[in-house]
Order: sequence, then structure tokens, then C-alpha cells
Amino acid sequence: MALLSLSEIGKRFGATVALAGASFTLEAGEVHALVGANGAGKSTLSRVVSGHIQPDSGTISLDGRPVRFAGAREAIRAGIVMVTQETSLAPDLSVLENIMLPRLGMPGRLDWRAMRRDAERLIARLGAEAGVAVGARVRDLAIGQRQIVEILKALALNSRLIIFDEPTAPLSPHETKLLFGIIRTLAAGGHGLVFVSHRLEEIFALSNRVTVLREGRVVAGAVPTRELTQGELIRLMVGRELTDIYARAGKTARPPHGAPVLSVRHLFAPPRVRDVSFTVYAGEILGLAGLVGAGRSETLETIFGLRPARGGSIELDGQSFSAASPRQAIRAGLGLIPEDRRTQGTVPDFSVRENLLLAHLGAHHGPGLAYRRRDSAVRRLLSLLGLPEQRLLDANLLTFSGGMQQKVILARWLVLSPRLLLLDEPTRGVDIATRSSIYALLRHIAAEGVACVVVSSDFEEVIGLADRIVVLSDGVDVTSIPSDMIDIEKLGMFAAPRSSAERTHTVLELLAERHGGMAFWISIEGGRVFCFDRVGTASLADPGFAGGSFPEIAETRIPEALARRAAGFVSEAESGLTTLLIPVPSESGHDFGLIGLTLARPPTHLDAEALAESVTHQLEPEAEREAA
Amino acid sequence: MSETAGASGRAAVRRGLGSRLLHLLATQLELRMLLVIIVVMAVLSLISPYFLTPKNLLNVMDQSVIAGMVALGQTLVILIGGIDLSVGSLIGVSAVALGLVFPKFGVPLGIVACLATGTALGLVNGVIISAGKVAPFVVTLGMMSVGRSMAYVLSGASSIGNIPDSLGSLTEDSLFGIPIDFMCLIVAYAIAWYFLTFAKGGRTLYAIGSNVEAARIAGLSINLWSIAAYVIAGLMSAVAAVFLTSKVLSIDPIGGAGAELNSIAAVVIGGASLFGGRGSIIGTLGGVFIMVFISNGLNLLNVSPYWQGTAIGSIIIAAVLIERLLSGGRSGA
Repeated sequence: MALLSLSEIGKRFGATVALAGASFTLEAGEVHALVGANGAGKSTLSRVVSGHIQPDSGTISLDGRPVRFAGAREAIRAGIVMVTQETSLAPDLSVLENIMLPRLGMPGRLDWRAMRRDAERLIARLGAEAGVAVGARVRDLAIGQRQIVEILKALALNSRLIIFDEPTAPLSPHETKLLFGIIRTLAAGGHGLVFVSHRLEEIFALSNRVTVLREGRVVAGAVPTRELTQGELIRLMVGRELTDIYARAGKTARPPHGAPVLSVRHLFAPPRVRDVSFTVYAGEILGLAGLVGAGRSETLETIFGLRPARGGSIELDGQSFSAASPRQAIRAGLGLIPEDRRTQGTVPDFSVRENLLLAHLGAHHGPGLAYRRRDSAVRRLLSLLGLPEQRLLDANLLTFSGGMQQKVILARWLVLSPRLLLLDEPTRGVDIATRSSIYALLRHIAAEGVACVVVSSDFEEVIGLADRIVVLSDGVDVTSIPSDMIDIEKLGMFAAPRSSAERTHTVLELLAERHGGMAFWISIEGGRVFCFDRVGTASLADPGFAGGSFPEIAETRIPEALARRAAGFVSEAESGLTTLLIPVPSESGHDFGLIGLTLARPPTHLDAEALAESVTHQLEPEAEREAA
Repeated sequence: MSETAGASGRAAVRRGLGSRLLHLLATQLELRMLLVIIVVMAVLSLISPYFLTPKNLLNVMDQSVIAGMVALGQTLVILIGGIDLSVGSLIGVSAVALGLVFPKFGVPLGIVACLATGTALGLVNGVIISAGKVAPFVVTLGMMSVGRSMAYVLSGASSIGNIPDSLGSLTEDSLFGIPIDFMCLIVAYAIAWYFLTFAKGGRTLYAIGSNVEAARIAGLSINLWSIAAYVIAGLMSAVAAVFLTSKVLSIDPIGGAGAELNSIAAVVIGGASLFGGRGSIIGTLGGVFIMVFISNGLNLLNVSPYWQGTAIGSIIIAAVLIERLLSGGRSGA
């Protein structure tokens, strides 16, 4: 019998559907990953399990008995605890007091000695590595240790089910390893663990089964993790059946480039934006792709004057540009549709009309409102967007659906006829139908010569919507590529954070250093080589491509090796470069690309087969599981 | 204004649609205030035959001026989601400034000094809150203490008398039977209403209180208008100080004590949300009248003044409860 089972859970927040009949089961002794893109409903679902929110419909059963939690307290009593990034510890109390907090509320004298003994027994259960001093003040602990205290607190309550909501986001690699060890120990001890994360490699390293959510629905329920590849998982998270919703009149019909509108060079705005360069042209939709935390939103906010740039330069229409405030950016013809509509977009106490004219108010010079001046623009936009009629303009914006609200926020900028629109996750929490009309609208305004920069976590959306994609990874732009030359898998490989592609990177470093050549990670498709990473200083052994580039095979310096993809070393007739290509191993035989080593001269005493085997071994997913 | 609101209310009744009236009441804050005021006046006139006499009504107008001036500034501050606890002690310190200046430089310069003092201290509040990002409660609590202490220091802790008649006439004279100070109050509220409804600054105050991030991204001047709200609150305290001095013909460093809570009460009774973004200046004026009526009525009924606190306090809590019930649906995210 399942430890926990949720069936057909539905939950709405106002007009937004967060969960539309999601089901989920958890067995004792398993680590069950809950994954999905932003807004897919994974947080909502885990908060339903932990009793923080109550579902509108559906049933929850624990040990086969139906339960209903009125609050987190009841869930805790039933043995369910959630561990989040922001821990719920009392920072000024000691570790011991935090672990035993529920006991502090009980009547009677406190038996400190027994409490200390119990706490130490719990710590012993987690293994020696968990070592936290019970006397330490929680405020003085690192985040990783605080999470351990949180877990201990859960264990002290005899919890059998622990939900980890993005626990590794603030952790260092070492702390992450430690946490994973603890999670495995707990699973082995019969606990049921839910692991919410968007880091794919963690899901593969840790979980037994995966449930994938998309738009509040389960698109893959309790699939054994080893039956999935990274690419399949990404496709499940972001893919959609509707492929022609991007309003693209065929990829070849892309309008020719206009003049460059915005040109960003080496933008530096710590901590997230480290070195970002890109250019967007009039009439172009540029996708800014990457994973959460790659610095995409921060890049937009820096351009728009919401965060200070500490380095780099921005040019607008060839003129040096730097906005100290959004107002300056707006008056220069920029617009920003922010990521979080509720906290950054809508003004809840304003009518639809005033929300629509908010940016007009910001851009307007005089002391009055001058709403009248925009009357004709508003009328035109209303019909263009299929927005409520004039008479509904005085209604409250919050009474409309998320998609409608987003259209109003979009219209807020279109009223000003901007030259450059920055859109941060413009379709988050928007239903498919409205989504498609937003895409059509963006196409329409791009056709009128507006340059658009669209940030999206939805890879399929980026590829479908954008003309060109700039991929950010850990605050650095890694490539700029026309969207019709890339697919979701390759985008994922480009976007992989440097930290999580660390293992591959380390292997490349070792290869390059030991053999004095250049080592690289590539994928070959359609006569092109896509290079995700390249390491090595031996310029004589340059294969003719670098990390982020995607030349045709014929344009590289090692065309023969790339064309033949033979098992052993291949020497180029022309340049004399010698290359060994080794397929990246994957359990399901899915294409993860190739690891290559190019040497300036043919090697004298190097056994290709042995080298390939050692690289393969280092890259085995199992190798990490054992090491960790 | 109030007549049209009443007329549309009557029209709704005639149509026999009680639900329509209820809807109007639920959506129109000003209408609701008007209804409450009419009910309060009706009850008081039934209980005391003296209530509706011209003399008592003049008395009521008189009493509402000072509270009303302070509540106007407080409304702007509460609209942006702030609070100003220093308005009472700013009345004291700006009145003392008036008292120090008029003997040497005359009444007009005295009034200028008074208004300048209130404005300057309001500016200090606003800058520290907006640029220093300190909680308004803390900053204005500190200013409350500083202002009171300054008033004592500057006045030598004694009251200032010998107020010239020219100042006293401000609250004595009337035009067409209406006291001049009350006319000033109505003009001030009319200007504030126009500003909050039709000026960029006014809409910016609402936007700041409703969603400051959205307002910032839309390019509105957040800092400028946040500071302006506190500056106007300081200025209105000084205006109240002028009228207070004119009325009691003496300057007491402790003058204006309690004005902070009374003004907050008026704003809250007037339907504003302490979280900002929601409220109206007409509502505040209604709140002021309700408070004055209640205390006036209790006086007429010879109820001990000690009971007034209980009455006003209960009304505040009831007003907020009713607002919460009426607007609960709208504020749900």
C-alpha cells in the first residue's frame, strides 16, 4: 500500500488554475522527484501534501485512509513535514531547542538531559557526516547545516514523509552531496521522500521515481527514473502537443534583419549577471534561454534600470545608453513585462483602464493624467488584443483570468509604441488559448519593427517563438543561435549550468592537460557540430570551434574525424590534426553527444580504446552514484 | 456632489431593486459614508432637539477643522501604505515656531515660520523613510518624540499668550454664515480630491500603496511622491497649528497631543486600508464628521467625556470590520 496517495487534486487561486486534477503516489522507502517548469504546480502540490494549503477538490489518503489537513500543524501531526529553502527555524535558539521545539510547548518541566540524548541519537541516525553541534545557535550555522537541523526537527516529530522543496538551490556542491547522503539514509530507513527540484542531474542522481507536472496536470506519473533520459524529461517538462501555436508563417519566412536596436556588451551586474553580450535587431524576436538562476531576469532588469550595472556597456540605436531608473528606460522607448505578474505587474486597486495606462502615466511629462490622449491607442489595442470592451474598462483587473491580465500588462506597454520590449516569462500562468494569441501579438508587433527580447524557461516556447536564441548559463552568454538550428535537447546541453556540467568539464580538463591537446563536448547533427564546451590551451590543436559555436563540419579544422566518427584516432589529411571521438554514455542509448580530443600531432603511445574506456567510465552516471 | 450621490441612491430604491442599492453601497465608499452620516445625524437629532440648531452645527463645523486638516495629510500617507505618528507633536512644535516669530516679525511671517517648520520636519520624515528605507512607524514614532521635545525646548516649557486679534479672527469670522476656517477645510479637501483623482501625483500615491513594484516598473516617481506624502502631512499639521492657535488664543507646547490617533481613526473610519492603495479623501472627511458628531452628541446627552474614548474606539473597530466584510472578495488574491 502506498504511504501517501493524492488523487485528482484541483486548486485555483482566483482566476488562476494551479492544479487541474493532479494525482501522486509515494511509497515508503523511495525518493520521489516532483518536477516541472515554473508554474507547473509542483510547489502547490507539495504545499497541499504538507497541509499549508487546502485543495478545492480531490482526495488525499495516508496509509490508505483518507485524510484532510486543515493546516500544516495537522499534517505534521500525521507525520508529514516540508523542508524548504527558507527554513522555519528560530534563529536565536540553539540547535537543540530548535529540534525539540514541539517539546518546549508541552506542559511540565523540561528534561534537558533526555532532550540532548534524543537529539544526539537522531543525529547519529543521519550518519556521522551530519554532525551539527547541538549547542550551537542556529543563526551561526551555514544554510546546509540549517537544513539538517530542519530534517532533525522533522525526525524528532517521528515524521515518516519529508518533502524537500528545492533544497539544493542555496547549497554548495559539498553541502548538496551531504544532503543527498542523508536523504538516501532516510529512504533506506523506510521514510518516504518527495524531492522537488528543477535540476535534472540531481533528479537522476537521487530519485527512484519521477512525477512530471505541466500546467497543473500530471504528464508523467511515477515513472521509474532509470527509464527516462534527460532529454525525455525535459521534453515532458516543457513540451506541448500544440506545435503551431507560435504564429510563425514558416521558419524560412523570417523577416530580414533590421538595424541593431539594442546591443549589450559584457554586461556585469553581480551576483547573477557576470558577462552577458548580445544584440537584438529591429523586427526580431530574440529568445533569452537558460535555466532558473542563469541571470536572465536580472539581465533584463539591469537593461531596464531596475538594477545597477557594475560593468559593460549598452548601446541603444548605436548610442551609448544606461538607464538609472525605469522612467529613463521608458522614455528611451523600452518596455518591461516583468516575471511575476502579481507582485510586479498588476495594480490590484486600479481599474483595467488605469492598469492599462500605468506606463503612460510614468512616461507622461505634465502634472495631469492625459488619459484622453491615449484614447485612440487604447481603442486600437482593445480590438487588437480581444480585450474587454470599453464599458468593462472600469472593472477591477483582478476579476479577469491570468491570461487576460497579462494581455492588459502587455497593452500597458504597447500604448507607448515602444521600440524595444523586454518580456520576462510572458506566458507564465497563462492558458494555452491566450498563449497563442500572445504569440500572435508578439509576431505582429515585431513585424511592425519592434525589437523583442523574450525570457522563457519553456525551451519549446523559446524555440517556437524566437527568431534567434541567446543561451545564458551561470550569468554568461554561451551561444547565440538561430532557433531553427537547435532543438530542446541541444538547448538543454547549452543551458546546463557550468556547475552541473562540472563532471564533463573536469573530464575535458584532465584530457586536455594530460595529452596536451584540446578536449571538447559536442553534438553533431545535420552536418553541423554544436560545441557545448571546449578546454585546452594548445592553440595548434584547435579543432576549429569553441564552446557555444555551431559551425558546419566542413568549416572546422577536423572535418574528416567529424564526418567519419570512427572508433579510433582519425588524422586529417590537410592539417595533420589527430582526433579521437568518444560517445557520451547513457543508460538508454540516448544521444548525449560526443567527447573529443584533438592533438596537434599523431600520438605515439596512446591506446585509443583504453582512453575511450577510461573516459566512458568517468562519465558513467553510476560512477557518481557510487562516489556520492 | 453629495446630492447627486443621494439622488442616484434614491433612484435605485425607486426601481425596487434592493440588490442594486446594496451593490452601489458595496462599491461606492463615499455613498456608504454619506449614509452613515445621515443615520448618525438622524439619530442624534431624534435624541437631542438641540443637535440640529444652527449654533450646534456651527460648533460641529468648528470642531471638525483641526481634526480634518490633520486627517487630510494622514490620508495621503496611509494611501501609500505608510503611517505618520508625528502629526500631533508637529502641531505643537510648529505652533511654538509661530509663537516665537510673531512678536518680532508679525503674524504673516509667524504663519510662514509655522508652515515651514511643519513642512521641513515632514520632509525629514519622508526622506528617512523613502531613501533610508526605515519603517514609517519607527521614523514617525521617533519624530513624535523629537517634535514634542523641541516644542518644550523652544517654548521654555511654558505657554505663549498675547495672540493678536488678527490671528484670532481666522476662526471668528464667517462668510455667508459659514465660518472661514470651515471654508478653508472644504477648499483643502476639494483640492486634495482633485489631486487624488485627476493628477499624476495622486494616482501615483494610490499605485504606490497598491503595488509599489508595478508602479516602479511603469516608471512612476516612487521616491518623490512617497516623500511628498509625508511633506504634505507635515504641512497640514502646521496648518492645523495655525487654526488651533487662532481658536484657543494661546500656544501650548503640548497642543495637538492625540491628533495622530484621531487622524488615523478618521482615515480608517473613512474606509482606507492601512496596507495602502485603498481609501478616499471624501471618506476621510466623512470619518472626521462622524467622529465629531459622536463626541458632540455625547456632550449634548451629558454623557461623561470619559466614555467618548469607548465610543470612538468601538466605531473604529466596527468601521474596519465592515470594510473588511465588504471588500473581502476584492482583496483575495
